[in-house]
Amino acid sequence: MASNSDNSAVGMPQLDFSTFPNQIFWLVVFCVVLFAIVKFFIIPRMEDIFANRRKIIDGNVAKAEEIRLRVSEIEKQIEEELQKAKSQCDEIMNASGNIIKEQMALALEDSKIATTQLISEAEGRLKELRDGSEAAIEKISEELASEIISKISIGK
Amino acid sequence: MEKQSAFNIHPMDQFIIDPILTGDSLEWYSFTNQALWMLISLVSISFVFIYGSRKHQLVPGRLQSIAELMYFFIRDMIIDIAGQEGLRYFPYIFTVFILILFGNVLGLLPYSFTYTSHIAVTGFLALSVFIAVTIIGFVKNGIGFLSLFWISSAPLALRPILLIIEVISYFVRPVSHSIRLAGNMMAGHAVIKVFAGFAGALGLGAIAPIFAITAVYGLEMLVVVIQAYVFTILTCVYLNDALHPGH
Repeated sequence: MASNSDNSAVGMPQLDFSTFPNQIFWLVVFCVVLFAIVKFFIIPRMEDIFANRRKIIDGNVAKAEEIRLRVSEIEKQIEEELQKAKSQCDEIMNASGNIIKEQMALALEDSKIATTQLISEAEGRLKELRDGSEAAIEKISEELASEIISKISIGK
Repeated sequence: MEKQSAFNIHPMDQFIIDPILTGDSLEWYSFTNQALWMLISLVSISFVFIYGSRKHQLVPGRLQSIAELMYFFIRDMIIDIAGQEGLRYFPYIFTVFILILFGNVLGLLPYSFTYTSHIAVTGFLALSVFIAVTIIGFVKNGIGFLSLFWISSAPLALRPILLIIEVISYFVRPVSHSIRLAGNMMAGHAVIKVFAGFAGALGLGAIAPIFAITAVYGLEMLVVVIQAYVFTILTCVYLNDALHPGH
């Protein structure tokens, strides 16, 4: 029919309509077979591979999310601990500051008392000294007066 | 026809359909070189997709990568163009894509037969797409499918003119769809064959046509993939028109 035994095409073999039934017959046959292969072998396999991959990726993403949550929890805990430690530290510092202040106030009080005591002691001693010197002056002046009187009376 | 035997260039001989089992007579059931290459492409497809990914690897090897690349390329293309509803037709579109792609690529082998260079094959595929898309359009949208031709976004005065243009372009679709593919395949192979004939005739000077063949071959490598892609993406576009006829 269409095939040329001398293997030389006349014009375009594509337009040799006598070959069309044969071409279309084999095309339909192979299309149906290929469709069956695609439908029953290729698609299930590819979808299976894809689903598996999706599952593992999703699993890993979920795990990562979980780890992230745990990390943020741990961070929060660290923050809390830090806060606690800070407040404790503040407390201790306040307490020790108060103690120091108290002690300082006490020491100041002590030293104040001691100084006032010292001052009053010194004042007392000063007064004593002054009193002593007044009496001595009185005595000396008395003696001096009596001596002057006696001297004057002798001279008479 | 030829004056010299040296210029024995028969660029169209490679497209002759030749019965290879039943002698010279070509009946509708005769197993031909074309059918043989369809069978070879079927075997290649099975090799890549079934043997290549037999291990269901999580991290794909070479063959499985190729298979996945093609598979998800077409899958994503359908979703991009025709939406999620288009995925229902994925097996059909994917079948058409790999049939054309493997036919084109295997056709580049020397002494092979490119079944996609035959207008009967591409015409049948394009007509199937055309008829299927038309049926899907009417089944999904009823008479509303005709709104594809009545462009409501255009000014009313223009609509009758656009109607004619749209109707013509709709019916021209299978023609352009099939001739684009067959023409590209035929032209590229014929050009290579012509240059090969020059190379045979020129002796030492054959270096120039051989260089040209190499260049055209490189170009053809690109064209065969692009044409398979174009055929498929147009199928998706037509399918999208059928699923969502409102422009």
